[in-house]
Amino acid sequence: MLETMKEVLQDALGRLHYQTTNYLPPLLAALTLLLGAYVAALLVRWLIYRIFKGWAIDKFLRQSGVAFLVDPSGRLRATRLAAESAYWCILFSGALLGVNVFGTDLANQIVQGFVFLLPKLFIAGLILLGGTWLGQYLGRSMLVWAVNENFPTPRRLAAIVRILIVFVAVVVAADQLNFARSVFLAAFIIFVGGAVLAASLALGLGGGGMRRFFEERRERVEDPAERSLWSHL
Amino acid sequence: MTSFALSEDARRAAETIRGADIVIGIPSYNNARTIGHVVRAVSAGLAKYFSQMRAVVINSDGGSTDQTRDAVLSARVEDNHVMLLETPMMPAQRLSFPYHGVPGKGSAFRLVFAMAKELDAKACAVVDSDLRSITPEWIDLLLRPVLFAGFDFVAPYYQRHKYDGTITNSIVYPLTRMLYGVSVRQPIGGEFGISARLLRRYLERRDWETDVARFGIDIWMTTVAIAEGYRVCQSFLGAKLHDAKDPGADLSAMLEQVVGSVFILMQEYAPLWQERHGSKPAELFGFRFDVGLEPVPVNVERMLQAFRRACTDLREIWQTVLSPHTLSAIRRLGESADGNRGTFRLADELWAEAVLDFALAYRAHPLGRGLILRSLTPLYLARVASFVGETEPLVAAEVEEKIEGLCQTFEALKPALARRWRGEPSEDAGAAADAEKNTANLEV
Repeated sequence: MLETMKEVLQDALGRLHYQTTNYLPPLLAALTLLLGAYVAALLVRWLIYRIFKGWAIDKFLRQSGVAFLVDPSGRLRATRLAAESAYWCILFSGALLGVNVFGTDLANQIVQGFVFLLPKLFIAGLILLGGTWLGQYLGRSMLVWAVNENFPTPRRLAAIVRILIVFVAVVVAADQLNFARSVFLAAFIIFVGGAVLAASLALGLGGGGMRRFFEERRERVEDPAERSLWSHL
Repeated sequence: MTSFALSEDARRAAETIRGADIVIGIPSYNNARTIGHVVRAVSAGLAKYFSQMRAVVINSDGGSTDQTRDAVLSARVEDNHVMLLETPMMPAQRLSFPYHGVPGKGSAFRLVFAMAKELDAKACAVVDSDLRSITPEWIDLLLRPVLFAGFDFVAPYYQRHKYDGTITNSIVYPLTRMLYGVSVRQPIGGEFGISARLLRRYLERRDWETDVARFGIDIWMTTVAIAEGYRVCQSFLGAKLHDAKDPGADLSAMLEQVVGSVFILMQEYAPLWQERHGSKPAELFGFRFDVGLEPVPVNVERMLQAFRRACTDLREIWQTVLSPHTLSAIRRLGESADGNRGTFRLADELWAEAVLDFALAYRAHPLGRGLILRSLTPLYLARVASFVGETEPLVAAEVEEKIEGLCQTFEALKPALARRWRGEPSEDAGAAADAEKNTANLEV
């Protein structure tokens, strides 16, 4: 009994020794790399803040109108966006390098997978960004149009346009990443089909309302009280 | 110089005619019903007042499908005895061409101006094709200051119903007067007299493909003339009665084109207007008389409804455009706008501040300009509703005093606008507090 326990203990200690001697140095190296990446990320973030402020990037984006298109509330700051992106990129790269130090198959697979995925991730990110921007812009245009046209639910209409465009962007991005392609495609088809069905139902059930809206619009356009507003500048 | 090239037809016609002293331009689009009368009045005016001069009437058409061009060419000018003329009338040459490019009044004018230059005309006048109240005297009043008094630009001065010309009264007139220091009462009137010198300057400019090509043309012509120091005057033409321009036209698109043109020119002439202070009226010619005016119906409830909804739905966009104290005052106004239509008031100060905020936002966000301008429509409707309520019991002279008050409010805000334009702090804390107090005291 004692002999068995001794063997088990020795075996465990042996494994511990083996793991310690095998994994502790890479672990320390990984931690050192992570720490280094953290310091580098802090430094780069600080530098970007300094450089962008010197170049007045935010002012330029504000004046060129790009900031208004991306975020009309004016809260978005390009400097902050760039600095934070660089910070997290460096930190993440440090973590990947750290994982790579272990030299295991799993670590190699993770690193290789990520490196292989990087360009696709970049393109997918751009697609999402573009889709979000387009959704925001067209959503706002729809909102202003619907308000000026006295459309019954302008905010809802704007939200539908925004969601539809962002959803299309998500589907395209997922396709780019080969991520759950069939799921997203199916969801997209269901979504579009649902939208068409909803539109058909709305036209059928709410046809009277729609007809009223367009009749009212026509009446408004032909109403002397309305025409006077724009026929006599 | 301009890159505008006359069409082959127009060039050949100019070569045949060889030259002219006067060119009258009539832009048109499906105006067969009214354009005959306009052509007759113009021809009679030319025969009666400028019989010794070579004149050409040019119709610049936007592709009418209702025989507008035929109506121009076939319009029969009244007999001499009707006009009480001693000498036989020499009918002016009449031409009609379709214009090319961006569809709109501005493109039509461009063709007329290019023809006038080609014909080496001494003076040019333009009149709308939907006028019902035009008389031969209008031609004299538009051309005589140019031909015999050395003026470069003659703007019209009409008697209009108090609810007529609301874009002019609430935005374009006060803003133009404040900026450039010259009071031209109808800066977007539609009928103008122009000297050859100014005409060449118009053709030299490179912004013809913008909103200028459309409804922005009138304010563009007036602003360029005033801002660049040309001699400007006004002629009293009586009443202006005309058909609705385009029943299907979209109010916010028209507002966008007109106000957008004002704002874009405001940027071009920024150094100039910041130097000018106060305002003086442009000289006024013509015998002033009172005329009966057609009533202009307005639907105040619908305007207030649009404003109320916009206060909720367009909050996000207005937040970017309006300064915080203007926005909060507007929102308070929106919350109380469901009361009695007669008591709804959008005060002059608040309206002027809102318009100037829009001008600054238009400059600050070049890529969002269309959106910003279109979001002005409900605010403009609120201002019209307020104006209708305020002026309901007033006669024309009293209404004019109200408009004068609005102009003075705009002028009082000019120093603050100039500071904000230069990027300096708009107001000190005290002034901001005062503004808050003012808006809190709004009559609602």
